[in-house]
Amino acid sequence: MSALLERIAGEAGAAQQGLPHRDARRRALEALTRQGLPSARDENWRYANLRSLERQRFTPASGMVPASLELPPALPGFTRCVFVDGHFDRARSAAPGPPLAAAALERTLRQGPDERFSLLNAALAAEVARVKVAAGTERVEFLFVASAPAGAGASYPRLEVEVEPGAGLELIERHLSAGSEGGFVTSAVEVHLAAGAHCTHYRVQDLNPRSILFDTLGARLDADAHYRLHALHTGGQAARSTLALTLGGERARVDLAVAALGERSQVQDTYARVEHAARATRTHQLFRGIAAGRSRVAFNGKIVVAHSAADADSQQSLRGLLAGPEAEIDVRPQLEIYTDAVRCSHGASVGKLDEQMLFYLLARGLARESALRLLKWAFLEDVIAGIGQPALRRQLEARLARLLPEAAPEELP
Amino acid sequence: MDSTALLEIEDLEVTVEGRKILNGLRLSVPRGQVHAIMGPNGSGKSTLAHVLAGRPGYEVTGGRVRYAGKDLLSLAPEERARAGLFLGFQYPVEIPGVNNVYLLKAALNAARTAQGQPEVDAFDFLALVREKMRLMRMEDSFLSRGVNEGFSGGEKKRNEILQMLVLEPTLAILDETDSGLDIDALKIVAAGINTLRSPARSTVLVTHYQRLLEHVVPDAVHVLSRGRIVRSGGAELARELERRGYDWVSGEAA
Repeated sequence: MSALLERIAGEAGAAQQGLPHRDARRRALEALTRQGLPSARDENWRYANLRSLERQRFTPASGMVPASLELPPALPGFTRCVFVDGHFDRARSAAPGPPLAAAALERTLRQGPDERFSLLNAALAAEVARVKVAAGTERVEFLFVASAPAGAGASYPRLEVEVEPGAGLELIERHLSAGSEGGFVTSAVEVHLAAGAHCTHYRVQDLNPRSILFDTLGARLDADAHYRLHALHTGGQAARSTLALTLGGERARVDLAVAALGERSQVQDTYARVEHAARATRTHQLFRGIAAGRSRVAFNGKIVVAHSAADADSQQSLRGLLAGPEAEIDVRPQLEIYTDAVRCSHGASVGKLDEQMLFYLLARGLARESALRLLKWAFLEDVIAGIGQPALRRQLEARLARLLPEAAPEELP
Repeated sequence: MDSTALLEIEDLEVTVEGRKILNGLRLSVPRGQVHAIMGPNGSGKSTLAHVLAGRPGYEVTGGRVRYAGKDLLSLAPEERARAGLFLGFQYPVEIPGVNNVYLLKAALNAARTAQGQPEVDAFDFLALVREKMRLMRMEDSFLSRGVNEGFSGGEKKRNEILQMLVLEPTLAILDETDSGLDIDALKIVAAGINTLRSPARSTVLVTHYQRLLEHVVPDAVHVLSRGRIVRSGGAELARELERRGYDWVSGEAA
């Protein structure tokens, strides 16, 4: 066992004493120590900044809610639940009671090696954010606020989503920082869509630029379920997001759209594994990443088509834009196919801004800086345009406009 | 040389990827006039248009260009545009994700700001664009589309002229705007060009064929061959070229 893993086991073991469901947590921690931490030699972890772990403290933060906490404006029609360092914040939540109580931690034990940070989360998550939709369509927004500076403890937000047969959910999940000090966040999300269920899930990772994030999302889809996942990764000093989606029922379908922005020395690493395990399942995967400064932006999209998944259909469009001479982009489509009669297409490209487009805009009198930013904006358009909630889209557009400044949000198309 | 000329090109030499394309080109375009530059393929017509607009990749190895009293070649492309120079592209670029109206407005405001005018009012702007669109017979749906995205060749050319009408440049350089147009589109484009004719403005039409010049009658026609003007004349020169072919002048110059 590495010294780091030993330290994690020690800190986590001590912290678990005060938490409910100790047996389940102990087993999660044991599973993690058995598997060990990933290393940069692991194919699926080579872009993540694992060395950032060395500097972290793993004991959970107490969840002290700062008195002044600026949250994004509420979205009409959405029930809001706020968690601070993984603890439910009743005062800031519109929901009548916490949709929580810990459970289902055992399930993480069955997950694959790429999802092992969810074991750390299961070992130490304070409370579980939960949404269960039995009928009709609900709209819920979860705000996960990282408040404690890294030295004062870690944040373990956990979200469990269950959509029952035929029901629907529009879900917003945001990760934010309360202050400007760097925090350490290990988040886990589990989604289950029963037969015929549908869910549109917006994920916004907007931690402050000094935070470290290890995020794991697992989703299982039963027959005819439809999952739309839109993710916008802009925050953190080093952020790794692992998405593990299983299309377990016939005709289940996932549309995954991820946009990631890196600047300064940020690391934005996303690994998305989609497994087609049943007949006529479909995936549509879109990634747009922009790396500026000395940042590194990576998207590793793996599609596995199992023997049982005849007539599967998968499309990948992965594009990276290099916006600085010292920046790095890695986009990697991977296909593993164990059956015939599948349609799999993928396109992957990394490039600089198009010189012809740039000259066209300059020849119309736009300032060089404005033209460059406009072209970056346009590059992300495929992902942004897919955000079906107008109020949320406007908020995210405004956020992007601040990250790609010059043009004020109201000026942008 | 005409000292009142809006555009004055003296002995311009331009090299592209080590090959000399313009070779001592001289041209003077007075204010208020429409000049046509004609010539066979490879004579340097498009190079001239691009160099005037400031496209990267063209090395000026000799000569000078004055525009409205300024040293044009010392200005960045965006400064030239804001000073009233407009290039109508032969192959307008598609920019998915950048809205047509947004580009039009940003371009207009860039010019207005440079001239010390306030930005255009959003309502007035839309009214202006719709008026020009009617003139170019463009559908409203165009407003919400990406710049040239999925446009046919003819639509792209009409969009260039629409931009020109909104920006009202002092000098328009239209690079083969007539190519790829059917006769109806050609008439619409020609009408657009003619509406901007005024004593304060000049237009340079770069074209291979004479047919646009039947609808936009030029004040002067220049024939470009091997990187220099080999013959200049009135509108009748274009008709004579159409009848006798470029070999006639190229041969004469050789």
